[in-house]
Amino acid sequence: MTIDTPRKLTGVRDRVDLIYRGVTRSGGIIVLVIMLAIGVFLGLRASQAISADGFEFFWQQAWEPDAGKFGIAAVLIGTILIAIVAVSLALPMALGTSLYISEYAPLRLKKTLIGLVDLMAAIPSVVYGLWGFFALQGSIVPIAKWISQNFGWIPIFAVDGYDPNDPLSTTTVFTSSTFVAGIVVALMITPIMTSIMREVFSQSPIGEREGALGLGATRWGMIRSVVLPFGVGGIIGGTMLGLGRALGETIAVYMIISPVFVIQPHILQNGASSISSLIALKYGEASAFGMSALMAAGLTLFVVTLIVNFGASAIVARSRSGASS
Amino acid sequence: MFSYIRKALSAAVALGATIAFALSAALPAQAATAYVPISGAGSSWSANAVEQWRTNVQQYGMRVNFASTGSSDGRNQFRNGTVDYAVSEIPYGLKDGSVVDSPPANRPFAYMPIVAGGTAMMYNLTSGGKQITNLRLSGEVITKIFTGVITKWDDAAIKADNPSISLPSRKIVPVVRSDGSGSTAQFTAWMAAKYGSLWGAYCNAAGRGSGCGLTSNFPVVAGKGFVAQPNSTGVAGYVQQRANDGTITYVEYSYALNAGFPVAKVLNKAGYYVEPTAQNVAVGLLGAKINADLTSNLTGVYDNADPRAYPMSSYSYMIVPKTNANNFTNDKGKTLGAFANYFLCEGQQQAPALGYSPLPINLVKSGFDQIKKIPGASSVTLDLKKCNNPTFSADGSNTLAKNAPQPADCDKKGSTQCASGTGGSAGAGSNGGTSAGGTTTGGTDATGGAGASGNSISGPMSCNADTGQCVAVTADAVKISAEPSWTVGNTIMAAAVLLLIMIVLLPPVLSRVLKRK
Repeated sequence: MTIDTPRKLTGVRDRVDLIYRGVTRSGGIIVLVIMLAIGVFLGLRASQAISADGFEFFWQQAWEPDAGKFGIAAVLIGTILIAIVAVSLALPMALGTSLYISEYAPLRLKKTLIGLVDLMAAIPSVVYGLWGFFALQGSIVPIAKWISQNFGWIPIFAVDGYDPNDPLSTTTVFTSSTFVAGIVVALMITPIMTSIMREVFSQSPIGEREGALGLGATRWGMIRSVVLPFGVGGIIGGTMLGLGRALGETIAVYMIISPVFVIQPHILQNGASSISSLIALKYGEASAFGMSALMAAGLTLFVVTLIVNFGASAIVARSRSGASS
Repeated sequence: MFSYIRKALSAAVALGATIAFALSAALPAQAATAYVPISGAGSSWSANAVEQWRTNVQQYGMRVNFASTGSSDGRNQFRNGTVDYAVSEIPYGLKDGSVVDSPPANRPFAYMPIVAGGTAMMYNLTSGGKQITNLRLSGEVITKIFTGVITKWDDAAIKADNPSISLPSRKIVPVVRSDGSGSTAQFTAWMAAKYGSLWGAYCNAAGRGSGCGLTSNFPVVAGKGFVAQPNSTGVAGYVQQRANDGTITYVEYSYALNAGFPVAKVLNKAGYYVEPTAQNVAVGLLGAKINADLTSNLTGVYDNADPRAYPMSSYSYMIVPKTNANNFTNDKGKTLGAFANYFLCEGQQQAPALGYSPLPINLVKSGFDQIKKIPGASSVTLDLKKCNNPTFSADGSNTLAKNAPQPADCDKKGSTQCASGTGGSAGAGSNGGTSAGGTTTGGTDATGGAGASGNSISGPMSCNADTGQCVAVTADAVKISAEPSWTVGNTIMAAAVLLLIMIVLLPPVLSRVLKRK
């Protein structure tokens, strides 16, 4: 008995096909090459600072490269804190908006709402920054004050230097904080999170929806049993993409925070830091060595963002909704 | 539907074209001298003046771009050849910490003074719900505030400067620049020169090594309650937010004027508290020693013995190229020369109104000599009569400084204090003022815990049980002007809001309507 070997398939490709394959393939390769080139460039430029600093780069908090004392401990943690605040505010907002648009909104309102969300994404970040600095900051202080007074026993909400019993106590300790910057960044990442989630929710299989409704589920029951389980990959993926954007947000953060170069875990307190705003602040006046140190900080941000984005795409690809798309 | 829209559109385009043609025909002069656009970056200290000038020269067809990114950034960009000119308060070559800010290696340049001004202490402070606008501070107190030694507004040293103000027991929040800045350099140079030990100790505490002296980057010690913001607009914008009571910052006088906020009068060598007005800055700068390259040595300004002199007065400089290195061209030189010609002569008239002080005649003349060094700049002769510079006189002395009014008696260090507002809140009355010297305050030893022992301010007092601080309760009549019900401004505002709503809502609605058709 002979084992059947599969027949070898040969196809004659059209010229148009070949050209199309070539164009798409080179497009994909170029993207990879550019990413690699950015990484190599950052690595080369950063090598001078990193080799001078050694492992101290990872645990030093101060940023005085010309005095030989610099590291990313404070700025990296500051970046992550701002991103966490932003995502934890943006996630409920985006989830609610996308569910409303895809499930509840009347048809004629739907397109307008989608347009509005897209419009929100089109606002330049400097406008968000100006708004956050001049309009939001003054009005958000009472909220920050309330949180710190009632939840101050949780370490991250504690604020030093404010005495609620003293009417003359200054409220500036609540300004320029991780919290204020996080709110503004949350508004900036909400649109992208919303549109990804909405896209995924709208793809949830119509048969299963009708099945759930036919078995007597309410609309919310249908959403809970069909749409959300189907779209969980989209929710996580959208959130991770939002997180990636939040980590890199520059100008709005730069305008709001009062930079400090110590690990500042009190998110409501004046003083915050982030890698991208550090670069925006210092690159104009950096010496050659200072520039190398900034490149090292940029490399760190690049790596962190890459990890987050790869994680997001892996999760989206493994989920049921992502596999089909 | 479509054909209708198309018709309307073509009609609109035709109308626009007609108008444009009519306009271009009406303004033939504009095309006569063509200028190449130039771009520069730097100081936010002098940005308000440069912005005004570059707007003014647009009428001559000059496109001068300026990015107010801070002096350090301006000098760096000029060195790297990314801008055609830079604006900075301090020259190249100064040592900042351990780093020397080296001049550009292969781009010869010249310094050109552009305007004078005073680094002002802009503050936001209320007492009993009323804004304090007549604060006075001595140099040592300012240094102690910005080095975290004095932390409360009712500190005995501040009270000694302000005998007539009931100061609140509020925390002082110094607002400093987070970016590299010429304002910081000027301010720290003054502190290092006058109060070196205080400043040195603070610098060491901030981890800058042995007493950093002049620096462009204000060192911030974490946990001291300092706030750092980028750019002059950032620090001024932070101080002017109503909730940020108790803040004080160093910024050019013009920013306080624009914000409508007061500045502290600063004690000078003669024992008078003065404001950085155009005249007082001009008087103060009579003490400046001008070096051969037109940079200045300000030590004489800090200790100028004239009772009108403002101690923190200084010049701002434009750094201009002397060769065509780094993509500079003769055409660009022509624009830069014409622009410099404008602001050195005519532009100086506007300096006092903007919150700056005009340059004296010797610097204007030297500035014109510098124009000749710019490649391609058409050599223009200085016609002093056309400039209308308020400092010029026939005998070469500084008229503005000569005619500056002497400070009022109530501005002398002592037990009285002028009540008039300062800076952007000039004209507004202030609390606790005793301009006539009538109601005097008694002893100023109110730091004791024994309640209202020394104060003899008439009127009801409110005392804090914990600290024993007593504050006069002021109940001034608040005048509310009758506002007209609906003004043109309101109409324009309503129209703007309507327009915004239309911009947001029209595209999606229109697209739906059009799609259906």
